[in-house]
Amino acid sequence: MHPDTFLRVLGPEPWKVGYVQPSRRPADARYGENPFRLGKHYQFQVVLKPSPENIQETYIESLEALGIDLKVHDLRFEEDNWEAPTLGAWGVGWQVMLDGMEITQFTYFQQTGGLDLQPISAEITYGLERITMFLGLSRSVYDVDWVADGVSYGQVRHQDEVEFSRYYFEVADVEFLRQTFDGYENEARRCLEAGIVLPAYECALKCSHLFNVLDSRGAVSVTERVALIKRVRDLSVACAKEYVASRERLGFPLLSVESASAGDEEDGRGDG
Amino acid sequence: MATGEFFLEVRCEEIPARMLQPAVKELATRAFEVLLSKGLTPSEVETGFTPRRLVLTLSGLPSRERDREEELLGPPAKIAFDQDGKPTPAAIGFAKKCGVEPTQLKTVNTPKGDYLAADVFTEGRATPEVLAEQIVPILKDLSWAKSMRWAAGQGPWVRPVHGLVALFDQEVVPMTLFGVDAGDSTCGHPIHSPRSFKVSGKADYDRKMTQRGIVVSYEERREQLGNQMEKLAKKLGGQLADDPELLDRLTSTCGIPGVVQGEFDPAYLALPREVLATSLRDHQSAFTIESADRLLPNFLTVMDRADDPEGRVRAGNEWVVAARLDDARFFYSEDRKKTLADRVSDLDHLIFHLDLGSYGDKAKRIRELSTSLCDVLGWNDESDLACEAADLLKVDLTTEMVKEFTSLQGVMGGAYAREDGEAEPVWQAIYDQYRPVSSQDEVPRGRVGLVVAIADRVDTLVGMFGLGMVPSGSRDPFGLRRAAQGLVRIVLEANLPLDLDMVAARSARLYGDRLKKGAEEVLADLRPFIQDRVRRLLGQQGYAYDSIEAAIGAGSSNLPELAARVDAVQRVREEADFLSVVLAAKRIANIVKDTPEQEFDANLLCESAEIDLHKSAEALRAKIEKAEAEGDHESSLRHIAELAEVLDTFFVEVLVMDEDRDLRMNRISLLQSIQRLISRTARLTEVVVDRSEHREKTASKD
Repeated sequence: MHPDTFLRVLGPEPWKVGYVQPSRRPADARYGENPFRLGKHYQFQVVLKPSPENIQETYIESLEALGIDLKVHDLRFEEDNWEAPTLGAWGVGWQVMLDGMEITQFTYFQQTGGLDLQPISAEITYGLERITMFLGLSRSVYDVDWVADGVSYGQVRHQDEVEFSRYYFEVADVEFLRQTFDGYENEARRCLEAGIVLPAYECALKCSHLFNVLDSRGAVSVTERVALIKRVRDLSVACAKEYVASRERLGFPLLSVESASAGDEEDGRGDG
Repeated sequence: MATGEFFLEVRCEEIPARMLQPAVKELATRAFEVLLSKGLTPSEVETGFTPRRLVLTLSGLPSRERDREEELLGPPAKIAFDQDGKPTPAAIGFAKKCGVEPTQLKTVNTPKGDYLAADVFTEGRATPEVLAEQIVPILKDLSWAKSMRWAAGQGPWVRPVHGLVALFDQEVVPMTLFGVDAGDSTCGHPIHSPRSFKVSGKADYDRKMTQRGIVVSYEERREQLGNQMEKLAKKLGGQLADDPELLDRLTSTCGIPGVVQGEFDPAYLALPREVLATSLRDHQSAFTIESADRLLPNFLTVMDRADDPEGRVRAGNEWVVAARLDDARFFYSEDRKKTLADRVSDLDHLIFHLDLGSYGDKAKRIRELSTSLCDVLGWNDESDLACEAADLLKVDLTTEMVKEFTSLQGVMGGAYAREDGEAEPVWQAIYDQYRPVSSQDEVPRGRVGLVVAIADRVDTLVGMFGLGMVPSGSRDPFGLRRAAQGLVRIVLEANLPLDLDMVAARSARLYGDRLKKGAEEVLADLRPFIQDRVRRLLGQQGYAYDSIEAAIGAGSSNLPELAARVDAVQRVREEADFLSVVLAAKRIANIVKDTPEQEFDANLLCESAEIDLHKSAEALRAKIEKAEAEGDHESSLRHIAELAEVLDTFFVEVLVMDEDRDLRMNRISLLQSIQRLISRTARLTEVVVDRSEHREKTASKD
């Protein structure tokens, strides 16, 4: 979870951000053989804090802006609550289904780093491969155009999927991963002690990823799983607390920034 | 036009499908109850919902709350007036509080003495005023399975609220829910009919919603969807899979009831049918279509729109289904690289419970226990097969397919074992191991299936109880109630003469020193737990609770035998002689309680009534034992009932508490032996006797 999401949703300061981020899920890697599952995919992440009143309408308009004519599609919001145990984070929301395909994860964050949030942020995560595949009804993600002049997603990314699948499932050295996990955990603690929370959080993120790799490597037993999750969670919780404290020391500087879009009026679209 | 109609619509972001029905039900019930308490009883209550709206209509409401006249009690009369008979400040204060003149106060006599009192009249408020006050607290307090906050911290509620319509006889009822004021306008579907429009009441609302294709009534929407799907399935030459739960779920995910039909590559039909059906149902909420016991390469699901003008909805759903099935095929082909038998050792790395060992350990215990069960039941031909089934029973937990679709555990193992060429009783035993999964479901097929299903459940129950993990309240993380329920049903329905105490004791021994409690202690906890399941099950079959209790009181470790004794009690319990013995049994229990067992000497009996009782009892003893040995519990109880007369005479003519200690103790001893004899089939003292009824029966007999 990117610091511009994880940390910025904490505390009272307003925040609006949108960025593309690769998301790695080692357990979903398929050696580049499955046309739909990827060990790494791209997301367009949007965080709006506090969550605006008309956020669903704006989201619907964003799909239309992408060229999806909703008059001929079936758009539904199905319950899907998001939870990241390693980050002490959870939220309530939906997976947005377009003609039966999940294209977006829409979440009202309730807690991150074990802290109750106020105000509440809304996070919209657009699954970019899904949406582009869907727009072209491609049978395989690897056929999607990376750029319009004929460079495909496969040409750019297939090797990445093959090699990382091998790494996650066959090659990754469990002992090295464990040591690295310990090392980053230690480094995060040191950073926290030095009062530098952003580097600390980065180390915590590395632990989270290492845990996922260990898990996909089949190296984690049930009990150890619980213990490792707790170790990463403890780091996340410590980072969250320290971040809020550090912002407070700075006087929550963004509180004084007027939201540029404040006062925007929506047209007559209802929300029923 | 005043029809006393209150119309309420709450619009919000999409409420989870599973929460919608309970929510409108709770809203209607609580609104009804609160209005009832105000004397505002609606003649009709109607609810409706779509994912984005909850709707409640109460019609036939009176226009005002009822007026109330109450007598309020004030201070004691003696401090209410001074010597001159003038009201004291206490009286004046009370009058003021009640809104009356001091002269209108009266004195009433109460058990505590004379008190000042006032008749207070409160005029009923207009209905909209009551609604304005009562409805919002109910809405805010609906018990959602999960709620959230939004924006600056609004809520908690299930999802952000955006609109509120509240009308009483066409007039807006002023109320505010999370900053949203009630009004008289709403809107349709967010994409197809987003513009807002005014409504005047329920009929107008329904009409305008229908124009927009939205069906607010859940029942109507469900019926429309079901009909459309059945028609389409028929057209395809098949039949819709029978899955009312899926239809419930789908009905709650749309406001406009549209059905989309899709196809998939028939090559996927090579996958086990269970996999196809589960993938389509769990991942895509889609119905499969059956024809002559096989699936067609088609599916049906729901969309929140009326039509599919460019075929995009269909194309999209087919695209996703293909992806899902492709994934399932990946798991399947991964799994098929090894047989189940090749994977047995993988169970050693899969933890069943930290203190109870791996699934490998569990499999070995199930194997041993299954062997003993076959021994006890005399099922020698099944013993080897049961061992094979036990070895493979849990192996599917290590397969990719079960990791992906946990609901397929058991079924998947069975399907793989079938493909591995395992013997039919073996694969069926694996396939059926979690049955019965519901009260309608059946118990496992065949002896091997029964034996391993029992062994697995006993092993889990004994293990968890042995760690002190006895479920309490709603906490039952390991599903032990369900395991016990299944165990009881299997043993009863297959009519297996097993001594469950012995089976559990054997299971506890197989755990070696892993358990924290001794076998006796485990049994002491487990016995009442299993008895509870028996009570429930037999109660559901219509047996009176005291018949069940009486039979349990005489032993409960052999369940079919127990059920037969319950049935016997139920058959004879209305008979006069039997009831007479029941009353005698209660009397005996009172007399002998707390007295240790006494030596009995037949030579000390002196009165004819006690000699008669002793002789009759001795004469019946053999008959009762014989009937019991033959499992004829009804005859046994009838023999016991034959003691009615001699018992009655005994209690009329013999004084048990004789001054002579030896006589007294000998009579108590006689009664103790009678008590044992008549409690052979059922603990008669548990049977509840309506005494007036009993007298009547006795009288009519005479």
